[in-house]
This record gives sequence, C-alpha cells and structure tokens, in this order.
Amino acid sequence: PRSDISPLTPGANLLFAQSGKIDHIPLDGNRMIKDESKTVLHVPGKVVIAVAFDCVEQMIYWSDITQPSISRVKLQGGETSVLITKDLGSPEGIAIDHISRNMYWTDSILDRIEVSRLDGSQRRVIFDSDLINPRPIVADPASGYLYWSDWSRDGPKIERSGLDGSDRTVLVQEGLGLPNALTFDPQSRQLCWADAGTRKVECVDPFSRFRRKLIEGIQYPFAIVSYGRNLYYTDWRREAVVAMDRHDGMEVEEFLPQRRSRTYGITVTYPQCPAGMNYCSRD
Amino acid sequence: DSTVGSSSDCKTCPCPTGATCAVVPKTKEVVCTNCPTGTTGKRCELCDDGFFGDPLGENGPVRACRACSCNNNIDPNAVGNCNRESGECLKCIYNTAGVFCDRCKEGFYGDARAANVADKCKPCSCSPYGTVDRKTTCSQVTGQCQCLPHVINRDCSACEPGFYNLQSGKGCERCNCNPIGSTN
Repeated sequence: PRSDISPLTPGANLLFAQSGKIDHIPLDGNRMIKDESKTVLHVPGKVVIAVAFDCVEQMIYWSDITQPSISRVKLQGGETSVLITKDLGSPEGIAIDHISRNMYWTDSILDRIEVSRLDGSQRRVIFDSDLINPRPIVADPASGYLYWSDWSRDGPKIERSGLDGSDRTVLVQEGLGLPNALTFDPQSRQLCWADAGTRKVECVDPFSRFRRKLIEGIQYPFAIVSYGRNLYYTDWRREAVVAMDRHDGMEVEEFLPQRRSRTYGITVTYPQCPAGMNYCSRD
Repeated sequence: DSTVGSSSDCKTCPCPTGATCAVVPKTKEVVCTNCPTGTTGKRCELCDDGFFGDPLGENGPVRACRACSCNNNIDPNAVGNCNRESGECLKCIYNTAGVFCDRCKEGFYGDARAANVADKCKPCSCSPYGTVDRKTTCSQVTGQCQCLPHVINRDCSACEPGFYNLQSGKGCERCNCNPIGSTN
C-alpha cells in the first residue's frame, strides 16, 4: 500500500521531530527501547516543529515552518494530508481534543491561537491579543481546558482557557524564563513545563495552583510530554530525548539520535484512548 | 531492493560521504539520512534550522552552513530565524526589519545595528496635529516626521516662533501681533 509512514511498533511509542523527519522510540513500560528507534516519517526539506497525536483515529499531526503548514498521517500507514496552509506564520504548537474532534494551534508570527476541526475545516481565531511568542499548547478534553505558554522575553506566562476560548486566565507568571515546553497529565492533574531560561522543570495543579519544582540545571528544553511515571523532553543543547521521573525529578534515561542536530516537538502514541472520560459521549 | 537477489540490487547512496540513505516507502524516493552535521534535506543540500548556506554548491560556489546573521536582531530561542539558503532574516526583533534586520521597521527610527538595544529603533511618535496627512512614519535615520507648514521639531509637535494654532491640523498660523504693542 502507498504510505508515507513506516509502521510503528505496537504499544506506546515516543515520537519526536528532528530536521526533515519524525522518529519513534518504542516504550516498554517506563523504558525506551532505544535500539528499535527509527524514522517513521521522512519530510526532507521541512522543519518540523510541533508533533501531536489523536488517539481515536490513530493519526499524527505536525507543523512545518518552511512553507508554514499543518499536516496529518495515519500511524498504520497512508498518505499525508495537508490540512492548513493559508494564513499561517510560524505554527509551533498543536493540541488535539480527541473528544470534540478539534485541533488548536499557536502561531508566533501572527501572534494568535486558532482552532479548527481535525480536517482543517471550520477554522476560527480564538485569541489574537496579548500573545507575543506562544509556543506549546495542550488540551485537557476531559475537563474542557486548554493550556499554553508564551516565552515572550518581556513577560513569559502560562495561560488557561476553556476549550471554547472562554475564561482566559494567567496561571503562572512569576519565576518564568523561556517556557518552551508544556504538558498536562490527566491522571495526576499536573501541568508541567520545562523552561530553557530558568533551566527548571516545574509542575502546577491548575486548580489548587499548588506549584512544585521537579529539577533544576537542565540544559535547553524545547518540548515535553508526560507518559506513565516519566516526563520526556527534547533538548536543543544535548540534541537528545531525556526521560525523567515525574515524581522525584531524577533523570532516568537519555536517547541520543544517530543524527546530531536539535530535537524539536515530542508526543506519545498509544493504541487506545484513555477510557471513561468522555464527557461528549453523554450528548 | 535487496530481495531480488542479484548483485546489482543495492546501489550506492547518492549522498555526501558519511551519510546513509533510505527509500521512502510510498514514493520509492531515496533520501539521505545522517547527513553531515549541520546539513539536511533529500541530498544533504540544506542547512539545519537556524543556519544558512549552500553546502553542496547547488547554486554557485559551496557555502558552508553558518548561523543566521541578522545584526543580533533575532532571538536564539525562536525557530525559523532565517531562510536556509539565502540567509534572509525572517524574524527580526527590536522593531527592526530588512533582509538582515539592518534597518528600522516603519514607524520607527534609529540605528538597527547599534550594539545597545536601547539605541536601536525608537518609535517615531509624530504629533498627529503637526504631521502631513497625520502620518505616523518618519525618516528612518533622523526620525524627522513630515511637518505641516510652520511646524517644527522632530516630531512636529510645536509651532515656529511667531506662529500658533498647531491643533488646527493644517499647520501653524502667523500670530499677526502688532510690533508696537507687543513685548518681546
């Protein structure tokens, strides 16, 4: 069958972007099966920044900044479809709401956050003010929230709103540098970020606002994802994927891709959506 | 295709020394993998994000990849700072613009190449009453706004001596004071 993508190992896989390609690393529980890592998608000439996953249709979504676009492809194989090309400046973060079937993205040239259906239709701008360098964006579909951060040198912040754009609130403003990386863990309800300015990984409970530092002295994080008991982040200086324990902040493992260059967006793929948290299924 | 079984099945990668290659499943197209450090693309002909050049000399002499050169008017935390072939700067900051972020963007003036951020590009802040067509742009070098008749100052915010009524928006009018009855 015609396919852009090489088949992935069954089970959970990390996916991360490096110039012109997306690689996967199979996960065995909380370990990376490093010697089974390989390139799943070649997009030579592109610079892939954001990578996101839809657990329902088992598709990966990614953004390219060379000819700014957002595309998707089925994990099981198939052809790439380009979803968004018009009116894009620098799409650097994608969030998938797998329940309502919407995607959200940040644009750090047009300085806005937009939403559309997963096929790119019904596109709408949800925020176009008070954004300077928005980058990571994550959805918590079960509770109906959207989180993003902005690494503006003059006022970095982490914000939250409803998935419909309502009730926009600044969650974190103090003690931020360059919050490039953000992830939400629905089980523990922790919003965690990695900061290339303060060189820390920190987490906050967005509801109680209780904040705690996991680790400091990391190098240059770009993107982060939470899975199982670990957080996995890409690092520009180490040109690596680093696994750390979500509870004590200890570094567990490092994966150095064969190709030495900066690592960008990261996400996790898994065979089935988390069960029992589908508020739309009631309608 | 090594499954056919003849000695000519495997071909040499069309890639620079040290690189390996792979066949894209769909298109059967050959792409280089593990390009030399700093390069990427189908044939390792492109520079990594944040760098520019022509590593294979596809459009003239070989130009090794080097970091985007934008007069220190880009942010190292940004992505896509310059065009990977031409080096044209794409994300100028500090109110600069131009191919190498080498001039001030419209509505700003000063020296985009100044070492100090404070000395770079300042807003024109033209006085709307004193400026032709209420323009907000000024000379990018001197900062001089385009003043209406008898209006002075860089920002067109005052009348010449002997003139009044800047607020009219049509330039300043002569005072017409009688020299005998006036002091000064």
